[in-house]
This record gives sequence, C-alpha cells and structure tokens, in this order.
Amino acid sequence: MSALTQKLKEVSLTVVPIVIIVLILHFVVTPLDSMELYRFLIGAALIIIGMAIFLLGVDLCITPLGNLFGHALTKSNKLWVIVAGGLLLGFLVSVAEPDLHILAVQVEEVTSGLIPRLTLVIVVSLGIAALLVVGLVRILYSIPLYWVLTGLYLIIGILSLLTSQGFLAISFDASGATTGALTVPFILALSYSISMMKKDSKGSEKDSFGLVGVASTGAILAVMVMSLVSGSGELTGQLAEEAAANTRLLAPFAAALPHIAGESALALSPLLVIFLGFQVFSFRLKKRPFMRIIKGFIYSFLGLTLFMLGVNAGFMDVGVSLGYAVAATGSPVLLLFVAFALGTVTILAEPAVHVLTHQIDEVTSGSVRRGFVLIALAVGVGLSLVLTAIRIIVPDVQLWHILLPGYIIAVALMYFGPKLFIGIAFDSGGVASGPMTATFILAFTQGAASATAGADVLIDGFGTIALVALTPLITLQILGLIYRRKTTKVDLIK
Amino acid sequence: MNTSGYSALVVITPCHASRVIHTARKHGVRGATVTLGRGTAHSRLLNFLELCDTQREIVIMVTGTLTATKTMKALCDELKLEKKNHGIATIIPLDNVFGLSYMPSGEPISQEEESYMHKAIFTVVERGQAEAVMDAATAAGARGGTIINARGSGIHETSKLFAMEIEPEKEIVMIIAETAQADAITSAIRESMRIDEPGRGIIFTAPVSHACGLY
Repeated sequence: MSALTQKLKEVSLTVVPIVIIVLILHFVVTPLDSMELYRFLIGAALIIIGMAIFLLGVDLCITPLGNLFGHALTKSNKLWVIVAGGLLLGFLVSVAEPDLHILAVQVEEVTSGLIPRLTLVIVVSLGIAALLVVGLVRILYSIPLYWVLTGLYLIIGILSLLTSQGFLAISFDASGATTGALTVPFILALSYSISMMKKDSKGSEKDSFGLVGVASTGAILAVMVMSLVSGSGELTGQLAEEAAANTRLLAPFAAALPHIAGESALALSPLLVIFLGFQVFSFRLKKRPFMRIIKGFIYSFLGLTLFMLGVNAGFMDVGVSLGYAVAATGSPVLLLFVAFALGTVTILAEPAVHVLTHQIDEVTSGSVRRGFVLIALAVGVGLSLVLTAIRIIVPDVQLWHILLPGYIIAVALMYFGPKLFIGIAFDSGGVASGPMTATFILAFTQGAASATAGADVLIDGFGTIALVALTPLITLQILGLIYRRKTTKVDLIK
Repeated sequence: MNTSGYSALVVITPCHASRVIHTARKHGVRGATVTLGRGTAHSRLLNFLELCDTQREIVIMVTGTLTATKTMKALCDELKLEKKNHGIATIIPLDNVFGLSYMPSGEPISQEEESYMHKAIFTVVERGQAEAVMDAATAAGARGGTIINARGSGIHETSKLFAMEIEPEKEIVMIIAETAQADAITSAIRESMRIDEPGRGIIFTAPVSHACGLY
C-alpha cells in the first residue's frame, strides 16, 4: 500500500461522516437546493483528495522543515539565536496565514477603519512570534508548561477585564485563526524536534506538545493590547454581505480557484524562502533530501488548494443554508442537536487534526490511541457548537459568560491531570480551529443567527472560533484523567 | 546455539500491531512491545513521487521458541504475510532471557543445531543517515528494510544544550537478508558509512531461525 492510498483511506473515513449527516438532514429535516447538494458532494470529494495530498506534503516537507529548524536553532546553543530565529519563523509563518487576513478584513470593516487590516496582521504576527520564543525557551530551560500557561491566562484574564465585548471575541478568534493548516504542523514539528533530544524520555514526551498552545495566546494578547492602545470601544460598522447565486454547477469552483491557489502559494512562500536561505547557509542538504522537500512543497500546494477549494466553494453555502433552515424550523432542540452532530463530525475533517493525532501516535509510540483523542476532540467541538447555538437562541448569554468559567476549568484541570495531556489539550485548541471550522462551522452559525429573531449575525459570528478552541482544552484533559486511571498497572505481585 | 529455549518473535506490520498482539495472546504469548518505524519498498515511480515511505509498527515478543514458531505460523495465515507488503515476521533465537517468570507449557529446550536461512542486520547511525545505509544495502542486494527512530549516546555524546541534557538522536536500520547475502550487505554498509571509524555508528547481526513474508 503506498503512502497515498493509505492517506486517502484514512481521510475518507473522516470526511464521510459529514456527508452522511448532511444527507440525513437533507432527506429528513430540511431539503437543500439540489444544486447546492451536488456542489457539496463535489466539495467533499475535493476535500478528500486535497487533504490526502496535503498531508503527504506535510510529511514530506512541513514536518521535516520544522525538525531541521528545531535542530539548527537548538544546536547553536546560543540564546540570541533561539530568540532571533523564533521571532523570524513565528512572524513569517503567521503573517502568511490566509485565515488571519480574512479576520483582519472583517475587523477593519467592523471598526470602520480604525484598525487597518495590515496593522492587525502585523500586530498579531508579532504576538505569535514573541510567544513562540517564550514557548521555545520554556522547552529549553524545562520550565513546566502549566506554570507558563497559568501565567499567560492570568494576564489574559486581567486584560480582558479592560477590553470591550467585541474585541474580546475578536482576540480569541484571532488565536484560532492564526493557527491554521500550515502553522500547526510546522510548530508541532519544531517543538517535537527540540524535545526529542532530551535525555529524560518522560520529559521529552510531554514537552513535544504545548508550543502551539503557548504561541496562540500571543494572538489573544496582541489584539487585546492593540484595542487598549488604540482606544477603540464598541464595534460600529457593518459586515458586507456577499451573496452571489450561481446557477451553473461548477461556476463557484472555477471562480474561486485563482484566488485560493494564490492564497495557498502565499501561505507556503515564507517557509519556502526561509528553507532556501537556510539550505545555503546552514542545512546544506544533499540532493535527494533537498528534492524531497521541494516535492513536498508541490504536494502541499496542490493539496491545500484542492482542500480549500472544496471547503469554500462546496461547503460554505451548504453551511449557511443548513444553519438557516434548521433555525427557521423554530425548534431549539433540533438546532442544538444538529449543532452538536455537525460539530463532532466536522472536526474530524480538519487537516491539522490528522497531523496532531499522528504526532501523538509517534511521540507516545502508539500508547495514547488516535481514536480516543479523536473522540475527545469531536465531543469537545460538538459541545462548543451547542454553546454557540445557545448563544444564538438566548441573546442574554454573553461570550465571556462561557469563556471565563471555561478557561478557569481548563487552567484548574492542569493541576490534576497527567502532564502529557496538558500540552496535547492546549495544542488541540489551536488545531481544532482550522480552515474547516473557520468556514463551514462559521457559515452554519451565521446562517442560524440570521434566521433567529434577536440574534446578531455579527456579534454571534465572532466568538464561534473562540469557543471551538476552548472546549477541547477541557475534554482532552478529562481524557487524560481517564487515561491515567485506566493504565495504572494491575498489581502483579498480589 | 539457542540454549535458553527462548526466542524473540519480531513482527513488522503496517498498522496491525494490535491485531498481532491479540492473535499472539491466543497462542500463549504473554506480552509484547510495540514501537514505530518506517518501511521502505521498491518501486521507481513511487520513489520518484516520494510515496514509498510508509509507517510500520514493530512488535517484539519474547517467548518460548515453540510458542514463537506456532504464533508465527498463525500470524502468517491471518495477516496473509505471503503477499507483498503485508509485513514480515521473524524469529531471532536468544541466549539469555530474564524477567519472564514462566516457561510456556513446559517446552523442551531444543539443543539441536539449526542452520539459519536468514540474518537480521541492525545498523545504528546518526539521525538522518538511515537512508544512506539503505542505499548501500540495496546496492549490495538487500530487498528492503525498516527504519526505527531512536536516541542514545556513546560515552562521549551526552551533552547539555541550555538547561536540558540531551541525547543525540539515532536511527536503527533493520534489514532481514538471506545468510548468503548478509556478509556482502554488511560490508557494503561498513564501507559506505565508514562504520569502522570511531563515532560513526555500529552494526550487529543476529541469526534468524524462521522468517515469513520475505519475497
């Protein structure tokens, strides 16, 4: 079995559940426009093929690159190299993240231009870069992850008291938006390569995770600080609604292709540039490994483009229609139920989820099962969508009513559960909020909000990603508690 | 040679470790250790497209030689190891075993001298060099190999970077070859990797009493 067929098989298994759920909804609850349904099916096929190719590219280039950089930085044994290298990598990788640009455009619109698009992108990227350095230094000096995270979330908690409601949502969304399909595998590989060198194998296991979690708090902090400095209060502007009804089946795909291909190329370009630079000055790879990474870039580009095409052209409209139709039935129970079902299955089709679960497999040599991690993630995201649906139905529920207790529980759990799961949990917060959630789930929420009286598409839209990034922190740490109880050895001597 | 009556049953499989262990249990194997590796297979097209590296799971079970042979036969049937790329199973006789508090079903200790058809060649090198090892081995007639990520240190190697003690990363290349070819492969690796110079890595071989899944 070649690597590609294996990936195709694995990916199909995770995409089929969404298709089944949507088909059930189509036949049982609310029929979709047939054109939309066909597009959805084409989109699903594109997602399967695209994700399989992309994951192959991740294996061939993104992960090896993360490893190479991790080694090159650490082996220097100089603090300034780590700081400079971390800042450079963190900044360049997140500045090219397409999700961040989408968020920045929205923020520019809702603040009526008070926060220009480019400013937000640069500030958030600086935040990510700075916290990436913090995370790297933490691994190198073996500072416990839960100290760092407790400290960071304390600061966030204090800052959030001073931040306005709207910006609170934006800042947490930004943290989800920046940790996309490319950044996550890269950062995971970076931390893996450094911690794998550690002599203490228990320590290296748990330190392989957590860097994504630490880095993504950088985005939250950056946006909060920026909103304080710029003094912008409430959100005033309006989001421009884009509605273009296409009558030809494949028209949306053709229309979206150039744009999406451009975005994929943009997202990959900084990594390629740094790689070529390091190749000349530091790596000096031989021809075959070098060519393999170059081929990996080609796979990543193709895969990412196909995947994003499937999501944007095939899934987005269905998400909005489904949300609208389900909410329009006026049955809150149905909405909650559908939200939970969609959340659970959608997360399985997130590319970074595959990367993370495989990383867990590799680090723990398979002792933490992929399946269990997937279930915990799925339940987590399902719950987060239920919470989102509650926010839509009950206008009185504010975002911080959920975020505050949520993060208090997440931070408190760190002091009880096994340490390995802290890193995994906080990483999966970033992992869960990838391109699939940023489009399909967000579209579903917005659809549902626009069909519900008293719900505001804008306010309820922002904050969705924040919740998706929150719940896995809790469910995965609970998995850790269960895992520890189940694996305690039965006493042999008795 | 096999004086202890114990053998290591080593199974290399694409992602079926749990099934292997399940079957082995039924045949009296009491415990197993699983680690992850990468397999290499041959196809020029797949090589060009870089599709050839695939994940493998390596299951190591130490048990009585008879149990091992019985289990291996069962595994061969169940996992259809006679087909290409379905994995391989080998038995490596062991000299001394401690920590196993039982001898399965009163197995006799076989004293017979067997002639071994295959050899397992293990090469431990710095991380990143496994491929060079495989290239050398393939040129000398090896059909494939399994690469296991590992780490370790010689007496000179443990060092400190920042506040963390590190152990350099290694790769173990495991190649099962016919005894007739084993020497050629070993010397090819020794030569191309300059193993005999200090700090370049080590090679050791072990006899394989039974094997299936090799083609």
